[in-house]
Amino acid sequence: MADNKLSWTELRRALASRAGVSEKAANVFLAAFNSQLTAALKSDKQVKVNGLGTFKLQAVAPRKSVNVTTGEQITIEGYNKIAFVPEAGVRELVEKGVKSERVKELKNEGETVDPLKKLGAQAEEIVGLLGELGQDVKQTPKKKAKKKPKAVKPVVEEPKVEEPVPVVAPEPEPIVEPEPEPVVVPKPVEEKPKKKYHFMRDTLICVVVLLMLLLAGYFFLRSQLSGWINELVNPTEQVQNTEYIIPSDKVAEEPSAVNIQPAEPATEEWSFDEILLTEQIAEGSRLAWIAKKHYGNKAYWPYIYAANKDHLTNPSVIPVGTPIRVPKLNAAMRDTTDIRFQQLKEEALEAMK
Amino acid sequence: MLTKDLIGLIADAAGMKKKDVEHLLSTTNAIIRENLMAGKSIQLQGLGTLDVKARKARTIVHPRTGERNVIPQKNQLVFKPVANMKDELKKI
Repeated sequence: MADNKLSWTELRRALASRAGVSEKAANVFLAAFNSQLTAALKSDKQVKVNGLGTFKLQAVAPRKSVNVTTGEQITIEGYNKIAFVPEAGVRELVEKGVKSERVKELKNEGETVDPLKKLGAQAEEIVGLLGELGQDVKQTPKKKAKKKPKAVKPVVEEPKVEEPVPVVAPEPEPIVEPEPEPVVVPKPVEEKPKKKYHFMRDTLICVVVLLMLLLAGYFFLRSQLSGWINELVNPTEQVQNTEYIIPSDKVAEEPSAVNIQPAEPATEEWSFDEILLTEQIAEGSRLAWIAKKHYGNKAYWPYIYAANKDHLTNPSVIPVGTPIRVPKLNAAMRDTTDIRFQQLKEEALEAMK
Repeated sequence: MLTKDLIGLIADAAGMKKKDVEHLLSTTNAIIRENLMAGKSIQLQGLGTLDVKARKARTIVHPRTGERNVIPQKNQLVFKPVANMKDELKKI
């Protein structure tokens, strides 16, 4: 810690030797500097020190609050706060020029944080799977909806009863009202005897239907699961089929750009020079995940492969810890219908084999 | 208040010439800057601490275009006043 702190005495000694004055004089000056700065802050509320920055006294307005235990209304009184705004040059120096142990420490911390990030990525994946499950759930209600019309059918029969009525009797209005009653009455008459004789049969039918539904559900889920497994093993095949949520603006832009000028995408060059960031491959990670994390869509993974071609032989087998450059995508590269993208993808898939 | 005025005040308080004070102040600031550049924090007795804090890199998403960008890791200069001074200046 001592290495990371310039203490008062160290500053005094450094000043004395640098400015060519005695340590005593340096001490007197520094003490005067501090006391006068405080005094000036009191009187002027703002003190500018060239080559360092500006000290400000900011007023914090009084505000109302509530005592948590009693629920009483209280006012928190206003006070002054000391703020320091570094000079632009100093700020830049600090932002860029530090190569100290503390920064190294932070980098190490960053590495330990990586598993957490991996967990985050996994969480995203799970959320995605749940989203797909949600779609499945939406599909099953459709089956139920198909059944419902069958139940509605008896209601449809009612108007048929209506038709003969006006033909027989010329007084239509009073006859229309009693119609629902005859429909309701026959039902209980039929059901009561059935309940006695066929109770076992009805329950059997119910059980069989339930079993069949369960089986159908099981096979459906299994086919889905194998699809996911395929996707995890080689993500590319799925990428073609599945549609990802792209911000609505883009969806609107892309087709229009294709319609108006088909030559336009060709004019905008691809470049892998601009690197968004470099990431190390963590255990269990893959290019598609990195693409999803940084581009929001895993379909763009071939670009990451293309930017790292020089040290990647097989995009699906990457040793842990390999640095991966993530290139910045321009508008042209976001178009997955581009021929160049298809070629790039095929090339990447070839390398996988 | 500007640096010029502060120099005048310090000169009066310490019984030094303005020229000397100016020289001392500029060298002090140079020393402070160099140490900040090296990532050291600076203790100013009776005033506070100038500290360098590291901010981690983070990914941001443009809300309209959905474009992803990385704000790189950087260091920030932070001033933390001494409790004594903080209390003294709270109410004037």
